[in-house]
Amino acid sequence: MKTRMLVLWLAVGIPLLWGVTKTLENALKLFH
Amino acid sequence: MTSSLFDRESTIAPPGYNRFLVPPAALAVHLSIGQAYAFSTFNLPLTKLIGISHAAPGDWKLTEVGWTFSIAIVLLGVSAAVFGRWVERVGPRLSMFTAALCFGGGFLVAAMGLHFHLLWLLYLGYGVLGGCGLGIGYISPVSTLIKWFPDRPGMATGMAIMGFGGGALIAAPLSLLLMDHFKTAASNGVLETFVTMGVIYFMFMMIGVLAVRVPAADWKPAGWVPSERPQQLVTKANVLVDVAWRTPQFWLLWGVLCMNVTAGIGVLGQASPMIQEIFSGAVSPAAAAGFVGLLSLFNMGGRFFWAATSDYIGRRNTYMVFFLFGILLYSLVPTLGHLGAKGLFVAAFAVVISMYGGGFATIPAYLRDMFGTMNVGAIHGRLLTAWSAAGVLGPQLVNYIRQFQIDHGVARAQAYSITMYVMCGLLLIGFLCNLAMRPVNDRYHHRASGQAGLRP
Repeated sequence: MKTRMLVLWLAVGIPLLWGVTKTLENALKLFH
Repeated sequence: MTSSLFDRESTIAPPGYNRFLVPPAALAVHLSIGQAYAFSTFNLPLTKLIGISHAAPGDWKLTEVGWTFSIAIVLLGVSAAVFGRWVERVGPRLSMFTAALCFGGGFLVAAMGLHFHLLWLLYLGYGVLGGCGLGIGYISPVSTLIKWFPDRPGMATGMAIMGFGGGALIAAPLSLLLMDHFKTAASNGVLETFVTMGVIYFMFMMIGVLAVRVPAADWKPAGWVPSERPQQLVTKANVLVDVAWRTPQFWLLWGVLCMNVTAGIGVLGQASPMIQEIFSGAVSPAAAAGFVGLLSLFNMGGRFFWAATSDYIGRRNTYMVFFLFGILLYSLVPTLGHLGAKGLFVAAFAVVISMYGGGFATIPAYLRDMFGTMNVGAIHGRLLTAWSAAGVLGPQLVNYIRQFQIDHGVARAQAYSITMYVMCGLLLIGFLCNLAMRPVNDRYHHRASGQAGLRP
């Protein structure tokens, strides 16, 4: 159950984290 | 075997099942369909399918392509309203699978539209079929999450609906990456990107389809005892969907959602030109794109933050904060613009957009409080027509007011002031709807015998 939990959360967490990072990189241009 | 996989009974969780396995299943669907918010990344490339690097004669116009998103948002509301009861009946797995077929298939049909250069096929694929996927996918996990988290319904639905906001953050860079990858001398890469995204999103949504479980009828979180203290705006009764939409509470909530979304969506759609025109010369197009990205982050974060907060301060109070604080911030924006206070201007809009996202994410728990859990998914589906109405009303209102002022000689930098005050007016209407909220009359309640409450 714990492995399944980890896999599921990673499956949705990694793409989301990638999207947030890309957006933050873009957002920082506002303050340059 | 196929039918047993999708039967509601086969999705009932065994004893000891960890309920925190369900939010990622819901997120897999919402992160996918949230791509809709990033559809604008395709707008310009879709106008250059023939010319590749420039718009050639025969290429579609931007206004024609723009209808694709509008059709999808209208179909989102319509399909959520029409299929809500079916989603409740068949359960989350079959409805999430249907959403995956519609959304993924919508991309593939739209890709055929690009291949044959048929605009109606693009509308049919992404707009109609994809729009149905959006609506069914949006409401599919909501009532399941509310049943798994009776102690924290706001947090649970906020987590899923946060995914819808987060979907755009993934889809925007992914679309650009794929179009760049597939670009050749003979293609600008949009067609290939549509096919790839259709397959990726279908597979990603299938993670949710296979992982989702519903709790057993008598299941309760370990150690959780429902509060015996009566709460004025939290019912223990249930109202059926066909009865709910006849109550004044349904239409008051419709007004609450519509006004909150109209105010936010109008500004969100105009964020880039707005900041460039208000701070003329001080904000480059790249910085303005950064502003839009920042708003997207707050849109996503606000969905979780405000919905989770509503579990502690109550749904009605949460919307009171949205409307009162929103009125204050919108009325301050013109002054901040005149003063050239860019940082405060950005901060004000970040908070406003967090409350826009929060409005979406808190509404399922508000519905559960007013109408009970029995038909909450279907009622939520019908309420989402408010979103469709706001999706048309908000951008039109902002565009029209801005253009009217510019046509009458108002400087571009000042053209948004009246718009902000109109937004305050909309939020005031929402505030009054929320203020008028009272518990649903007993006569509407569902009886244990299976009969709906007395007709009004």
